[in-house]
Amino acid sequence: MSTITAETPLTDTHAHGEHHKPNWFFHYFWTYDHKMIGLQYLWTAFAFLFVGGALAMGVRFQLAYPGHVVPVIGRLLPATIAVDGAIIPAGYNALVTMHATVMVFLVVMPLVIGAFGNYLIPLKIGAGDMAFPLLNEVSYWLYVTSGLILMSSFFCPGGAPASGWTAYAPLSAVGAYNHTQMGQSLWCIGIFINGLSSIAGAVNYITTIVNLRCPGMTMFRLPLAVWALFITAILLLLAVPVLSAAGALLFFDLNFGTSFFKPGGEGQPLLWQHLFWFFGHPEVYIMILPAMGLVSEIIPVFSRKPIFGYKAMALALAAIGVLGFMVWGHHMFVSGMSLTMSAAFSVSTMFIAVPSAIKTFNWLGTIWRGSVQFTTAMCFALGFVSMFIIGGLSGIFMASTPVDLFIHHTYFIVAHIHYVLFGGSLFAVLGAVYFWFPKMFGRMLNERLGIFHFIMTFVFFNVTFFPMHNLGLGGMMRRIADPTIYEHLAQLQPLNILCTWGAFGLGLSMIPFFVNIFYSIFYGPKAPNNPWHATTLEWTVPSPPGHGNFAVTPTVYHGPYEYSVPGMTKDYLPQNEPAPEGIHLEAH
Amino acid sequence: MFRSFLRFTLVLATAFLLLATAAHAETHTTNLYWAPQNATVGGEKIDVILNSIFVLTTVVFILTQAFLIYYLVKYRRREGVKAQYSHGNNKLEVVWTLLPTIIFIALVIWSNRTWHELLQSPIPPDALEVQVVAYQFGWDFLYPGADGKLGASDVRLITPDNKFGQDKSDPAGKDDFTSAEFVIPVNKVVHILLRSRDVIHSFYVPQFRLYQDAIPGRTISWVRFQTIRTGNFELACSQLCGAGHYNMKAKIRVVSQEEYDKWFAGKAQAHAAAAAASATESKDQNLVQASEHK
Amino acid sequence: MTTAELTHDEVHQGATPSTARFGMIMFLLSEAMLFAALLITYTVLRIGHPGDWPPHGAPDLRVRFPLTMMNYVMIINSFILISSSFTFHWVEVQIKKHGKSGLFPLLVTIALGTVFLCVQGWEWSHLYEEGMWFSKEMYGIYGSCFFVTTGFHGMHVFVGLLLLIWCFLRQVCFGSFTQKHHVALDNVGLYWHFVDGVWLVVYTLFYII
Ligand code: HEA
Ligand code: HEA
Ligand code: CUA
Ligand SMILES: [Cu+2]
Repeated sequence: MSTITAETPLTDTHAHGEHHKPNWFFHYFWTYDHKMIGLQYLWTAFAFLFVGGALAMGVRFQLAYPGHVVPVIGRLLPATIAVDGAIIPAGYNALVTMHATVMVFLVVMPLVIGAFGNYLIPLKIGAGDMAFPLLNEVSYWLYVTSGLILMSSFFCPGGAPASGWTAYAPLSAVGAYNHTQMGQSLWCIGIFINGLSSIAGAVNYITTIVNLRCPGMTMFRLPLAVWALFITAILLLLAVPVLSAAGALLFFDLNFGTSFFKPGGEGQPLLWQHLFWFFGHPEVYIMILPAMGLVSEIIPVFSRKPIFGYKAMALALAAIGVLGFMVWGHHMFVSGMSLTMSAAFSVSTMFIAVPSAIKTFNWLGTIWRGSVQFTTAMCFALGFVSMFIIGGLSGIFMASTPVDLFIHHTYFIVAHIHYVLFGGSLFAVLGAVYFWFPKMFGRMLNERLGIFHFIMTFVFFNVTFFPMHNLGLGGMMRRIADPTIYEHLAQLQPLNILCTWGAFGLGLSMIPFFVNIFYSIFYGPKAPNNPWHATTLEWTVPSPPGHGNFAVTPTVYHGPYEYSVPGMTKDYLPQNEPAPEGIHLEAH
Repeated sequence: MFRSFLRFTLVLATAFLLLATAAHAETHTTNLYWAPQNATVGGEKIDVILNSIFVLTTVVFILTQAFLIYYLVKYRRREGVKAQYSHGNNKLEVVWTLLPTIIFIALVIWSNRTWHELLQSPIPPDALEVQVVAYQFGWDFLYPGADGKLGASDVRLITPDNKFGQDKSDPAGKDDFTSAEFVIPVNKVVHILLRSRDVIHSFYVPQFRLYQDAIPGRTISWVRFQTIRTGNFELACSQLCGAGHYNMKAKIRVVSQEEYDKWFAGKAQAHAAAAAASATESKDQNLVQASEHK
Repeated sequence: MTTAELTHDEVHQGATPSTARFGMIMFLLSEAMLFAALLITYTVLRIGHPGDWPPHGAPDLRVRFPLTMMNYVMIINSFILISSSFTFHWVEVQIKKHGKSGLFPLLVTIALGTVFLCVQGWEWSHLYEEGMWFSKEMYGIYGSCFFVTTGFHGMHVFVGLLLLIWCFLRQVCFGSFTQKHHVALDNVGLYWHFVDGVWLVVYTLFYII
């Protein structure tokens, strides 16, 4: 990479001068700086990724070798998970539940929203910080608190909650049915606090994006990542309180003898499902939209080409946001909900696939006639597009009501989940780490190791999760601790073993990533301000940016993706530079 | 760097093929995606849609991935070649918005018509009606006796002593008998009344292409199916329902009409005998237990 | 001017007044969804409820003629809460228009809020004595919904009261709110009006329909 010196004279000084030297505690643990808060989120979420990943390894081990003693750590596991080193069925349910809870609430959301949202929003819109820095830090600590509470459930009497991340009542609502009353209660509390954290974050993001844009930064000049985070924050704001309310009601059912979700003429088990999925479906888009935004930042840079169809991309995000609130019933086609409602939700579900299609085609259009550079970040972004297509297409099967009659609650769904969440969200996050690492830490990551990491992840990801489509169509139910006891599944066991070894490989492929990160933070080559020759505002300030971000408030003159403008000598035009004399920028 | 990208794609493809064939050699299923062979009329309709979506998505998959890879190869960075400066094309946007929309509308109309046909059309009056009750962790079946009619019942009447919520005052229910396995005459429409005693369970038989949750406190009365071949199947609970969920199954035997009649006669007789015995004890509640112990 | 100065003052807190107000409104939207979820839960359970409503023997909360003592109490209590919104408005007029301290109407607002909470506490204990409580055995979801919803609302009133008291103390000790400076007061006001508004919906659903 060639070195770029500061484009503008302002970038060298820390905006806030030197009078601001907080001690290490206030620097790392209680800070109002959005960048440090973003990094706090990043590290904490990566720590939880190990927890969630380790739980997944337990799940996979049990599925491949049901009843076998877990090697090495088996005898260390708590009695609610394993007896004599072998995972017990109730323990398996707890592992699955906690795996998903950790991955969704403590890994993917904090990564895409907490880490990258915090780090990028103010930098990309030319603001000094978030609108409410204190609230921002409070939000982070609420997240940590919720994580600790959820973790503590492993050690409470009865063990961790075991009714799935969807916590369907009345199983989840009656201690006598689930035998994990305390764990389930802790789950409710953890989710509630996590919700507070999300809402605080959402308020902050929306306010910041609406009010703190620098001069010239109109809504249609926002980078798509900011657009995506904006829509995401709106979804969070409106969806999360519903889960909080439902979680509180579930808590009362468990502990105070209320009967909101208990049957017997009074409460309604399906009400829980409606409340949960009214949150749950927007939730899955909450996890994918920022990822789409991050990818939309990376692809134009390494194609050296403006994003294809900027407005269509932004509007598609908004459309997903709106439609996202109308499709929750597709999780309940065969739940006992009215059949006519199922049919109606099937219609809206099909429609919500359209904006995703628009996005996919526009990514392809961006690469078309570009000049593609295969950096690690780009490989992950392309991997995202490729894997998201697979995950999205499997969604079409399930959106068809009669087909869902066959594949509901099978491993086909599990395959879908992981293609959109791992192949989608997590790939985007990994790409984003490779992309913004130079900005965050002022050092370059090793590209060779990066490509190696990408290839391992990509291969093992597919080995792990592709066969799950076949397992699902072969009739394998979700959340069963031992598939071999079913005749039609015993013969599919080789596939399960294949998935498991793929999963181990996937776990191992995280090693080069973390080696790379920890090596490069200290010994990587120093990063210039703008290593990728990108156009958005964060690349106009030093790496890492100083406190307060911009020494002088930037002014924005045009859209965010002006690459390869004809007639210019350099092939990119940062947002804070007006087009040179005589150069005409195409409207987007 | 690009070389390694190509190399890895090749490695990936071969690895995939090898693994797929290896795994396939060990399975004994009949179709491309290794779904168990279908056994119901409704399943045939579902399979047609499934196959069509498979074709549709395969085409979309191949096209999109092919374009992706083709572009990546064709437009990889080369000295002196500059990217084209373009912000998009509104005509294209319209095309690729409308095209999927049309496909989806067609698909959803077809799907929902089949959905209606499978679950919402009138049930033939000669259907065999069976009450299926799920509990932590097993299944009970209640068959109509010689009169071919299930007696009246209500979920609210379900108690530990009255496991099917039978209305004991209804004479039509006197000859209803219970079974621990689900025996079905082939080619006959079976209509099930699905209930649960505790938490949500689900009635799932992959060969029947059928899934339905059983909700405590409610009766699901729209599930029906018509088998097309005899065989032994497993009824699996596919909704997480507690520690024993993984093992909550029941035997399903789809048998010829003659075999069914034989089984039915045996069951009905045993029930009548048990009923007579308990009548002498004149203890109502033993009725269910007696037939249970049979 | 740096962006840091643009968006915050030196202590890195306190966004500009309009930004703070915007943020508060966003937060209240979220709160509205919380209450919407609770009220929809109530509506769904009530519509699906078999048998009498209220369940046989349970105290009837609703306004029905001839009015009971409880009806009168809760009508008056509602007026008390609603009037506290007006007294708060009076605070704002005093401070913003007339440049006064607004301490007296603020005190009245706090008093009205406190009275509301006390009366509600009394109503709860009264209902408890009549055999109604959270749990299923005590009139089932009728009680559960009522106590949970009014409980959530009461908690919000309580938080609002704390905020009002905080404003009051700041005004007494530091004279924080003046014609020019009244951001915090404005936002507390938004919250207080919101909580009152929610009560109107709760009252309609539980006490009238
Ligand atoms: C990031 C998360 C994410 C995303 C983006 C999606 C996207 C979609 N999901 Fe998914 N979904 C989940 C996460 C996600 N899902 C999770 C976690 C569950 C399980 C929850 C649980 O039970 O635990 C689930 C479950 C789930 C179900 C319930 C299944 C069941 O339980 O039986 C359904 C049913 O309709 C569904 C549908 C869809 C559809 C139609 C899309 C669409 O948005 C996809 C649109 C994308 C494309 C279609 C691909 C690109 C488009 C083209 C290339 C254009 C051309 C295409 C055609 C013409 C076909 N999802
Ligand atoms: C949100 C994102 C997300 C992510 C990233 C993952 C990642 C993984 N998931 Fe997860 N999963 C879900 C979300 C996610 N999952 C959800 C929502 C469900 C539904 C749950 C439910 O039914 O309630 C689910 C369910 C689910 C199941 C189904 C269980 C069942 O129904 O019975 C399985 C089974 O294979 C599985 C496996 C995996 C594996 C192998 C990974 C791997 O990708 C993980 C790889 C690990 C890492 C990348 C981290 C690195 C860790 C290590 C290096 C640790 C090393 C330690 C050892 C090897 C001991 N998941
Ligand atoms: Cu019953 Cu699972
Ligand atoms: Cu969904």
